[in-house]
Amino acid sequence: MSNTETKPSDSLITTDVETGSNDRTAPSDRTAVAARDLNVFYGDEQAIDDVSMEIPEKRVTALIGPSGCGKSTFLRCINRMNDMIEVCRVEGDIEFGGKNVYDDDVDPVALRRKIGMVFQKPNPFPKSIRDNVAYGLKIQGFDGDVDERVEESLKGAALWDEVKDQLGSSGLDLSGGQQQRLCIARAIAPDPEVILMDEPTSALDPVAASKIEDLIDDLAEEYTVIIVTHNMQQAARISDRTAVFLTGGRLVEYDDTTKIFEDPEEQRVEDYITGKFG
Amino acid sequence: MATDTDTGRVEEFGEVSRVRGIAFEYLSLGASVLGIFALAVLLIYVTIDAFDLANANPLWLLTYFLTLVVPFLGFCLYSARDRTLTRRAVTVAGGGLVAVAVAFTLVETFVGQVPRLNWQLTYLFVVIIPLTGYLVYMGARGRPGSVGFGMVGRLIGGTAIGLAFSVLFLVFDERLWFLAYTLGIVPALLAYAYGRLRDTPAAVTAALPISILGMVLAVFVREVLRTYPTTAFIYLWTLAIPIAAAGAVVVNGRGSRTAALTAGGVPLALATAVGLFGRAAGLGVGGPNALLVIAVTGVPVAAYLHRVFDVGEGVSGLGLPVLLVAGALAGAFLVELFGIPTPSPWVSETFLTEAPSRTATEAGLYPAIVGSVIIIAMVAVLSFALGVATSVFLEEYTADTGVVGALTRLLQINIANLAAVPSVVYGLLGLGLFANLLGFGFGTAVTVSLTLSLLILPITIISAQEAIRSVPDDLRRGSDAMGATRWQTTKNVVLPEAFPGILTGTILALGRAIGETAPLIMVGAATTVFSPPSSLFSKFSAMPMQIYAWANFPQAEFRYGVVAAGVITLLIILIGMNGTAILLRNRAERGN
Repeated sequence: MSNTETKPSDSLITTDVETGSNDRTAPSDRTAVAARDLNVFYGDEQAIDDVSMEIPEKRVTALIGPSGCGKSTFLRCINRMNDMIEVCRVEGDIEFGGKNVYDDDVDPVALRRKIGMVFQKPNPFPKSIRDNVAYGLKIQGFDGDVDERVEESLKGAALWDEVKDQLGSSGLDLSGGQQQRLCIARAIAPDPEVILMDEPTSALDPVAASKIEDLIDDLAEEYTVIIVTHNMQQAARISDRTAVFLTGGRLVEYDDTTKIFEDPEEQRVEDYITGKFG
Repeated sequence: MATDTDTGRVEEFGEVSRVRGIAFEYLSLGASVLGIFALAVLLIYVTIDAFDLANANPLWLLTYFLTLVVPFLGFCLYSARDRTLTRRAVTVAGGGLVAVAVAFTLVETFVGQVPRLNWQLTYLFVVIIPLTGYLVYMGARGRPGSVGFGMVGRLIGGTAIGLAFSVLFLVFDERLWFLAYTLGIVPALLAYAYGRLRDTPAAVTAALPISILGMVLAVFVREVLRTYPTTAFIYLWTLAIPIAAAGAVVVNGRGSRTAALTAGGVPLALATAVGLFGRAAGLGVGGPNALLVIAVTGVPVAAYLHRVFDVGEGVSGLGLPVLLVAGALAGAFLVELFGIPTPSPWVSETFLTEAPSRTATEAGLYPAIVGSVIIIAMVAVLSFALGVATSVFLEEYTADTGVVGALTRLLQINIANLAAVPSVVYGLLGLGLFANLLGFGFGTAVTVSLTLSLLILPITIISAQEAIRSVPDDLRRGSDAMGATRWQTTKNVVLPEAFPGILTGTILALGRAIGETAPLIMVGAATTVFSPPSSLFSKFSAMPMQIYAWANFPQAEFRYGVVAAGVITLLIILIGMNGTAILLRNRAERGN
């Protein structure tokens, strides 16, 4: 468990040192996702400019930066959700499990079954809680015990105790924070390898957000978590590695979270983190 | 405010003119009131003509008012449990009586005779019917009211659907259905159930091919096989038993096994007993149609009873059907007792069950009702299937940009334009394409249904597209991100969410289809047929055609009485159909 709740942060940097230094301080030797010379264009506009980075397995990696800096675009490149946008063009490689996901023989639908995603706005389906969690299992033709997996996933998303008596009621009847945890349960139910989170707490109140943060910390035990966030304190509290994108889609600095928040190499990054710019 | 001025006080804010807004508000109010008023006057006169109310004895009206209307209003007020509402309702009913009587007398004295209206009828239409509508609305919010109306709705709706089924079997071969059901649907369901229970996905996948194979087989077997069970047995096996089983499954899902068996078994046993032996036992009812109606009505009623008793609230509402029947019987008894003359309404049993006739009193609408029901059923299926398929393709599968995008937009514009093409032109298309070129025959059910389906297809497509477009993109992206294919996203997320909206559009379009006369004339549908159609390719008529024909008869009884009765029947069937569909839609919405 993280100790963020017991010790309120008095500065960004202390918070980071405390949470970042939990049981996952040593950098992982295995890479889950790697970008090589990635360029993304929306029509004529360049959204990502020559980004290369390696994201470690079973760690929380935070992507931070001002609005429009390409961090969400980068996230959507990993599971090829950008394919849905017709004007979007991707150059360069994204390697997942050693394989470039933009190779011609990669089926994006099959790829997405290995990579879960949680969106900014909670988007549970207008179905029962059980059916929401079982959705991925259903479409992937899961042939094990669905109810057992639903229970595991809801427990994994720290929602089981709150909803175990109302699995049949609609997912839309839950509160915003519960809905977001339901979406997390839905994402982890098919047991993906990577979970992408696109500002998962920005639509939630602080209490609900802190529950999700605790949850993300736990999720990193089993999954590689890549999270886009606008909230610097959040990035400092929950992530092991932090990538700072600045305007124009350039990756300015990418290092251990401790390093980024304590002693960034770049002056621009320090300005951004301390709020002088952004 | 923030910066202190010398005094810190504002002397004046000025004034903003609202004259135009207010004028616009009242103009729009006037326009809508005018439209509704004109429609209301028309409907009032049609109702008066159809039920011969102009000649009704005031005592007759009073009797039924006291035995039927007053108890019903009392029930609504009891359900609403609102003292203010009760006081207001009594004030409106009492004050309305005085006001209408006074106003009516004044008009008669100073302006002139009002044709076919007296103050009692005016009171009924102007005060009592709106009041009843309002009280039904308020009463339905209370638990007894919602239970009562749910019960009455299931009784009436079940009967109507049962009758509609039996009408459809006039033209559809029940023996072919029997074979298709036995050889196709039953084995497929068994395979599906086996696959589910034993965790054998192969069996689940095999269910669809099995059903198709069985149905094709049925067509061949129908040519060869000569002996069949009786119609009553076919209805029992193919419709009553599955309906009872479905009811039992629903009840089992919410309660005990015993309750489930009762809810499915009792209506089934009753239907079987009455259907097979009713005539022989001298009950007066019986035969396959009675079996069907009892099963279709009984199972939902039993399931509903179980739910009401399970919840335990508003059980008193179950008395509403009893109250209504008792009120009607008491009214009839009192009328008989005091020898009050009863009006002879044009909408009568003869009218609904007999063939058209040269004499007004014997004229009936039965063949045309059957024709209309068959058209509605076929048009509903055809336009729904085609409309949903087209709109899904246009919304979910085509690209927005490039050559494909341009073609899609061209198609869109054409569909929108087709919606504005006059129905006579569609009639011409039906005549040329279906009747002549494809040889489906002039004025047959197939030709008419296909023509009307084409007529409403653009409306169905546009409204279905609208419904699909209104499904939030968040949900699609959520499903896509789970690794769902386009088809899985469409089937599991988009269509269930868009379904209520699609249904609304289809209902509105269907309403237009059953009222159409021009395309029917063009494709050569008969204005008058004397027996209900016996196959999809036999000559047949529809309600609007028959009404149109009657309106040209020289006798005044036809032009006033019979036409009015036809219009009322058409409206009741239309409203009943729309109402059922709207209830289903609301249920689907709440089901989310």
